[in-house]
Amino acid sequence: MAAGSTSKAAMLPPPRSETGVVGWMRINLFSAWHNSALTVIAIASLALFLWYGLGWIILDADWRVVPTLGGRLIIGQYNIEVACPGQNCFWRPQAALLLITSLLGMAWYVAGGGLTKRIALLVGGVSAAFAFLPLGLDQMGLDVRLLLLANVPAVAIGWAVANYTRLGSASWIAILSVVAFLLTLVLLRGVPGVPFLHPVSVIYWGGLMLNLLLAIAGIALSLPIGIALALGRRSRLQVVKFLCIAFIETFRGVPLITLLFMSQVLVPLAFPDNFPQNSLFRAAIVITLFSSAYMAENIRGGLQSLHPGQAEAARALGLPGWQTTLFISLPQAIRNVIPPIVGQFISLFKDTSLVYIIGMLDVVEISRAFIQGNPEYLSSAKEVFIFLALVFWVFTYGMSYVSRRVEQHLGVGER
Amino acid sequence: MATMLRSLTYQGIPIWRNIYVVQWASQIVSGLLVVVLVSWFIVNIGNEIQARDIPYGFSFLSREYQTPIGQHFLAYKSSDSFLYAFVVAATNTVVVSIVGVILATALGIVVGVSRMSGNWIVAKAALVYIEFFRNVPLLLHLFFWFYIVLALPPVRQGYVIAQRLYINNGGVSLPWPYPSSYGMATTWLATVVVAAIIGRAVNRWLTRREADTGVSSYPLVAGCASAIVIGAITWLVLSAVSGITPFVMSQPAPHGTFGRIAGGFTLPGGLIALMIGLVTYTSSFIAEIVRAGIQSVGRGQTEAARAVGLSAGSTLRDVTFPQALRVIVPPLISQYLNLTKNSSLAGAIGYSDLTNVAKTMTQTAPAVSIFILIMAAYLVMSLTWSLIGNWYNRRKRFTGV
Repeated sequence: MAAGSTSKAAMLPPPRSETGVVGWMRINLFSAWHNSALTVIAIASLALFLWYGLGWIILDADWRVVPTLGGRLIIGQYNIEVACPGQNCFWRPQAALLLITSLLGMAWYVAGGGLTKRIALLVGGVSAAFAFLPLGLDQMGLDVRLLLLANVPAVAIGWAVANYTRLGSASWIAILSVVAFLLTLVLLRGVPGVPFLHPVSVIYWGGLMLNLLLAIAGIALSLPIGIALALGRRSRLQVVKFLCIAFIETFRGVPLITLLFMSQVLVPLAFPDNFPQNSLFRAAIVITLFSSAYMAENIRGGLQSLHPGQAEAARALGLPGWQTTLFISLPQAIRNVIPPIVGQFISLFKDTSLVYIIGMLDVVEISRAFIQGNPEYLSSAKEVFIFLALVFWVFTYGMSYVSRRVEQHLGVGER
Repeated sequence: MATMLRSLTYQGIPIWRNIYVVQWASQIVSGLLVVVLVSWFIVNIGNEIQARDIPYGFSFLSREYQTPIGQHFLAYKSSDSFLYAFVVAATNTVVVSIVGVILATALGIVVGVSRMSGNWIVAKAALVYIEFFRNVPLLLHLFFWFYIVLALPPVRQGYVIAQRLYINNGGVSLPWPYPSSYGMATTWLATVVVAAIIGRAVNRWLTRREADTGVSSYPLVAGCASAIVIGAITWLVLSAVSGITPFVMSQPAPHGTFGRIAGGFTLPGGLIALMIGLVTYTSSFIAEIVRAGIQSVGRGQTEAARAVGLSAGSTLRDVTFPQALRVIVPPLISQYLNLTKNSSLAGAIGYSDLTNVAKTMTQTAPAVSIFILIMAAYLVMSLTWSLIGNWYNRRKRFTGV
């Protein structure tokens, strides 16, 4: 038979049993008897789980405890009378949120749409939607609602500023982010003597605001410190190498909770009395250092995955050592280990809930304390923790989704 | 001037451009900086300790601790010393670590393999499990389970299963064998160890004979049987000689006016919540490690195994998984370390682990010394897991064909 000729059989469509829904089910669910049994068992248990689970969520669960907690979930005790006497300080975290949304708007312009655009619109939209919550979240007055609504124009203003001024570049956004973070701290901490900016001690900072502040500071600082430690550990300078190894192994060998507790008891002793420090500051430092020790090991893995030829070629072309590291080795190394780095960011965010050990009321601890203090809500503990789990899940899943998109964008695994 | 500069050279190169000089100078400077900083901290701590009359040193270790410890696997009373109380607390952490590691590994492997299943529903269910459990803080897991345990009915209205198992908000009480006397129990346990060694020897001998001669003689069955028979015979002999069995089963039962459960072994609610939380949380990480390991084995291996007629289960057990272990073990060990360290969250739900007890100790003992002890204890635990991992890794690495 000639090579180009086709028989009649080759032109027939695939058998019905291999295509469509039935075919898909045959291949994926009922390919063999044990697979069919597994499918039946899985569907049965899933159905049971969904039946009782959904039944509980819709009929039995008492979700009223979540709005009762209300604003406490977001800002903790920031707004209580002792923290903020004679005025309503709820608006200050909301004003800080406006800084974030306008920065997101700028990032949208710089990135030119895509994922950044969607994140900006989502954050702005969800924040604005909170303004329409019928529930009177703890003393959420008209001012707070207006500030929440302003998140949508804030995104637009950020975009416009980036578009019509010279601030629309990645480096300006990085600088403005640092400025915005410091402004947020000033706004939350308050300035003595300025009306409406009554100082609020950091021991009253709490809720999701505290988790996010610690996470953002930790993420922003632990990456550069981790890079420095990883380079130090691979250094030929024996003293530097030894110091880096000692630091990394010490921080990785002890539980974070022990380190946090240690910071509370030991660090005040280690500094002179007049040295400015507070529990939030110490917690942020400890979480950052702990995370950077893990980050260093991730980045070291990335550096090890590079072929030595890369650095050798760069040196052969005449690049000095620091430029070889900064422009040749590090970008490739970090690209190779994006998943573990983002995994470490997620861990860090989850670990911010451990600050309960030094008496700070983050979103988890304030809910637990509320349940503990109000025994009538003891039976609603499940609802609270499931709600909190969802909140954390949205943030962490969002982070891993973004990391996957960034990887796709950089073409990891394709080149 | 120019002559002076020229004299500042080493082998013809100005010293500030000489790589050796620059490297040594930067090392000395960085080393000195750290030494200065650390000694500044130490001097400050020393001054504070003297100024505030804070006790220091390790002499407190022989003093009586005089504080109760909620749960303990070793016998403990309040008049015991600080050192012994510390050991008791460390044992609590070690028990949680070992049991948790075993359970989390088993569950993690099941979920990880399910994630790779050809069955769409099973694979997706495993995916949902992993994505949900590892993206939520462990503390939330623990609180969730702890408040479910707390919400169990009190002792009198508690659940009773077959008059043997008592479940209530105090925990779960179940029948437990207790040694009738330490001498007999240790004698019998020693013979069990000997029996296991003999069983292993029988197993290896029969396996080798089967390989050499082709005569099938059920090496696994014969090995297990010989170990069990030896154990059973010593049990009977010991019981006949002294009139009481080496271990006596203790049944839980309500006692007294409040119906408190006595006898048997009671797993406290905090421990149960801790175990469930730790195991489900860690298993979701282990599942991903297992999946990465299995995926690292070339597809050709699986296809070849199926082509020579091995079943799907046998392919996984005998071909894929042994090779995947090389990729799995190193990150698995770091998960074991994480589990051990994460058990320090136990304090939040009222279980007396090392960190929790040590935290209480700092109220009556010098904090600096306590912290040195804690760090040493966790370091020893981490090193032990690493040693086990490295030993296993050496056995499983490629040794060539």
